[in-house]
Amino acid sequence: MTKAAKWLRGPLARAVFALVLVLMLGVIFPAEGAFYRAGTHLGAWRQMAVHGILALGLLPVILTGGIDLAVGSMLGLVAVVVAKLVMHLGFAGLSGVLVGILVGAACGATSGALVAIARVQPFVATLAMMVFARGLGKTISGGMKVATAVAGPDGVMRYVDVPPLFKALDAQLAGGGLAVVSLVFVVVAVIVGALTGFHRIGRYWLAIGGNEEAARLSGVPVTAAKIGAYVWCGVCAAIAGLCHAAQEQQGDPEAGTTYELTAIAMVVLGGTSLAGGRGGVGLTLLGVFTIGYLDKILSINAVPEASRLMLTGLIVVLAVLAQKSGRSS
Amino acid sequence: MQNDSKMIGCSRRWFGVAVVALMASCKGGGDAGPAPAASAGATKKVKFTIGVSQCNLGEPWRVQMNAEIKAAAQKNSEIVDVTWRDAQNDTLKQRAQVEELVQAKVDLLIISPKEAQPLTDPVAKVFDAGIPVIVLDRAVLGDKYTTFIGADNKKIGKAAGEWVKQVLGGKGKVVELKGLMTSTPGQDRNAGFREALQGSEIEVAFEADMKWLEPDARKEMDSALSRLPKIDLVYAHNDPGAHGAYLAAKAAGREKEMKFVGIDALPHEGVAYVEQGLLDATFQYPTGGREAVDAAVKILRGEKVAKTMTLGSRMFTKDNAKDGGKAIE
Repeated sequence: MTKAAKWLRGPLARAVFALVLVLMLGVIFPAEGAFYRAGTHLGAWRQMAVHGILALGLLPVILTGGIDLAVGSMLGLVAVVVAKLVMHLGFAGLSGVLVGILVGAACGATSGALVAIARVQPFVATLAMMVFARGLGKTISGGMKVATAVAGPDGVMRYVDVPPLFKALDAQLAGGGLAVVSLVFVVVAVIVGALTGFHRIGRYWLAIGGNEEAARLSGVPVTAAKIGAYVWCGVCAAIAGLCHAAQEQQGDPEAGTTYELTAIAMVVLGGTSLAGGRGGVGLTLLGVFTIGYLDKILSINAVPEASRLMLTGLIVVLAVLAQKSGRSS
Repeated sequence: MQNDSKMIGCSRRWFGVAVVALMASCKGGGDAGPAPAASAGATKKVKFTIGVSQCNLGEPWRVQMNAEIKAAAQKNSEIVDVTWRDAQNDTLKQRAQVEELVQAKVDLLIISPKEAQPLTDPVAKVFDAGIPVIVLDRAVLGDKYTTFIGADNKKIGKAAGEWVKQVLGGKGKVVELKGLMTSTPGQDRNAGFREALQGSEIEVAFEADMKWLEPDARKEMDSALSRLPKIDLVYAHNDPGAHGAYLAAKAAGREKEMKFVGIDALPHEGVAYVEQGLLDATFQYPTGGREAVDAAVKILRGEKVAKTMTLGSRMFTKDNAKDGGKAIE
């Protein structure tokens, strides 16, 4: 097989194919030219950033053959914690970021320890973390959104400013349009790309997903590498939570509900196997763009919700079938 | 116990009932006898227990409803005590909780049912057992309850439409961000609004389902902004939706071009947004918490109440938000 033919049969070509398929939809239905405006694309990149960061966090976990269902809940928890700290309690932005990331890392480490040390199935361990983190977020916020309006003890509202941290994260660069959260997404992608592609922990993750016992016998520190994957996932969920809270200018305890499903779909659509041991950051980015653009194109065409759900389901199945046929050949 | 026949041999539930009964008896101090409503008028200074069955505390609006019930009950604390249940958006859980409250011998039930059909029977059984029932916000079928207290979404949507017609001078381009169009509030807030606009030159140039969620509203508004060169007003079916639209327009530098109108007017949400100058108007969808406790006190004193009470709504604009808004007739 020539090099080109080999590439065409590979997972990367399949993932590119799925993205092209979706972009074609935009070309066919440009929504009165909106698809050809730069603002639409910059907007799409901003909108896919939060889900994309979650997907990039999930990637190492999925590479090891695990899953983390708690990413959406951790996002909500961190959004509430950070909003509470920097908006209501007057913490500096940087300490808010640090505490937020620590909260995410702690949640991830707990899930990771349950999976790697206590040998609880990843699905079960992270399902538990999913409901726990959601409950914790609701407890901390009292079930209300943590916003710029603060009720005093007498019930009278008092208003606080949107903190500089949130303004900075929600800012737009280059004359308006390129959102800071899109850049955060790129930075996270570079880091996870470096970890999976160039650092030995990336090889460990792949080896564990391929065959955990073989990896253990050949000296891979399985427990540490697994916990590391979940900690990274928690950190990414925290970063996504920060970006989400900044864009909403509030900490919503319900934030991130069902985001885990979109994020998992993004990873899988790129061609990363849920069974573990196969996949990478490039594929995940393609998955993020495919779902992100699909969402945007349906939205600019004002497609009704019911049709949107059906179309999304159909296109995801088509893309995954394309992946599958690529592998069996 | 009145409901022995309904108790299925479930030891866990019996245990739960026992604990609840124990708690109730501690709280009530022994004078909370199962006195039926009719004879209550004769014995003065008797303390009653109200059971509140809330279908879902995951929504700020329902948290507010409970807060209003609590505040009103505290004002009447020499007469009533409140026992709370949260069904976490689960119909069957709510049914079980209604049974629990009956077993705990509450003197009156306030229920905000998740849905009509499956909760009609449980509510009717409570009513038949001689316990007065106040149905709040969402109705049940038939007439086996003491009183229904709720607001009229269609009327509120219509009031919003009338206001929009007035401020736009009868013509312009409007974006409508809808709640879930498979839910009655979404349908009614849409229908009332459209009814008011009929005959005017106001065109709904973009409409999308934002599922009551702020991130989705922001996303859909982004699409509206990239499609429409000029937007005069955004009407969102709830305040978080209007807030999300405002943030989207602000990010595009176009927030001054248009007006933003929301519904619900929670003190810490919509009214706060109006006071901060983010939204131009919000129309209250009252929770009825205070009215329910007022009715409960009347019923427990043996007074008559109307079978149906429709709550009035209030409009909040920048000018009147501080003074508690303006009533809509």
